[in-house]
Amino acid sequence: MILHHIQDSVEQSSGLTTCLRYIALGDSILLSGNAINCLLKREWRAKLANLRVVALKEDVNARGLQDYLKDVKQISYNEFVELSLEHEKVISW
Amino acid sequence: MKKLCIIFRQAPHGTAHGREGLDLSLLSASFEQEVSLLFSDEGLLTLLKSQDPESIGSKDYIAALGALSLYDIETVLVCQESMQALGLELEDLRIDLSAALPTEISKHLAEVDEVLVF
Amino acid sequence: MSKFIIQVNSAAYGSASSYSAYRFAKAAIENGHTIEKVFFYQDGVLNTNHLNSPASDEFDLKQAWVELHQLHGVALVNCVSAALRRGVLSESEAKENQYSHWNMQAPFTMGGLGELVIGIETADRLVSF
Repeated sequence: MILHHIQDSVEQSSGLTTCLRYIALGDSILLSGNAINCLLKREWRAKLANLRVVALKEDVNARGLQDYLKDVKQISYNEFVELSLEHEKVISW
Repeated sequence: MKKLCIIFRQAPHGTAHGREGLDLSLLSASFEQEVSLLFSDEGLLTLLKSQDPESIGSKDYIAALGALSLYDIETVLVCQESMQALGLELEDLRIDLSAALPTEISKHLAEVDEVLVF
Repeated sequence: MSKFIIQVNSAAYGSASSYSAYRFAKAAIENGHTIEKVFFYQDGVLNTNHLNSPASDEFDLKQAWVELHQLHGVALVNCVSAALRRGVLSESEAKENQYSHWNMQAPFTMGGLGELVIGIETADRLVSF
C-alpha cells in the first residue's frame, strides 16, 4: 500500500503519468500544489476515475478551486500525516 | 539496513537530478543499504552509450554507472514501456540488463522500504 | 507515535514544495509524532541561506525552519556538497575556500549524504517534498 504524492502540474512534470503506470491495487494518490489542477480536465478525471484520490484542502482553497472540486475528497495537513503512516511508504513523484 | 529504490525519471544533463540521484545511490550502497535502481521515462537516456556531457559543461557522472556492481547494486530495472516510447533497444544501453514490465516494477516498489525519485 | 525524516528538494522561494514540507513537519509534531531530521538536498539547500530576505509582509520560510528547531529541537541538516555547488557555505567551508563571507549558520548544519541515509534507516517514514 503506497501513498503516491504528486506536487507538480501535469503540464510541467511527468510525475502523475509515471505514477499511474506503476500504481497498484490498494494504493492512494495525494494531489497537492499545482498537481491539483489536473482535476479540472476531463482527460485526467477519466484516468483517475477508479483510483483512490485525495487533494490537499489548503492548496485547493488557495487556488480558488473549492467550488469546482466538491466531489473530490480533501484532506488537511494533519490528515496527510496520518495518511502517510496508514500506507507502507510515500513516493513523491 | 533498508531496501531503497532510487528512480531516475528525468533526463540527464539538462538538470542535476540524475547526478544527485546517482550520488545518493552510491552513497546509500556504501552505507550498507540494499539499493535498487529504476530508470523510467526520459531518465533511461542516462543509460545511452557515447555520451559527452563534458562538452556542455556537465560532469561525466555517467561513467560511475559502470561501477554499480562494485557497490553491490545488483538490481537495476529499466521500464519496458519507456524503452518503447523512446524507440530504444537493450543494445543501445551501456549496461547489461533486462527490461521490466510495469507490473514487475509495481511489485518491486511494493517490496522495498523507501523510494526516492529524481 | 512515529518518527519521520523529511527531505526537502526545492528552493525556499519559487517553489511551493518547501512550504508544504514545513507544514507537514509542523502537523506531524502537532499530531504527537517526532521529526528525526529535516534534510535539505538538491535545490532544497537554498532554504538555509541566511541572506534570504523576503519582504516584511511575506512568509519567512527560513525563519519558520529556525523556529521549528527552537521549539521542537528538529535537526536541520544540509547536504554539504549540494550546498557548496549552490553557493551556500558555512563559516568553515568559507574559510576552507578562502572566502571572507558565508551565508549559512546555526541552527542549520552541514552534513554528508550519509546523514540522509542514516536518517532514513532510523526513521519510520521518509516523506520527500
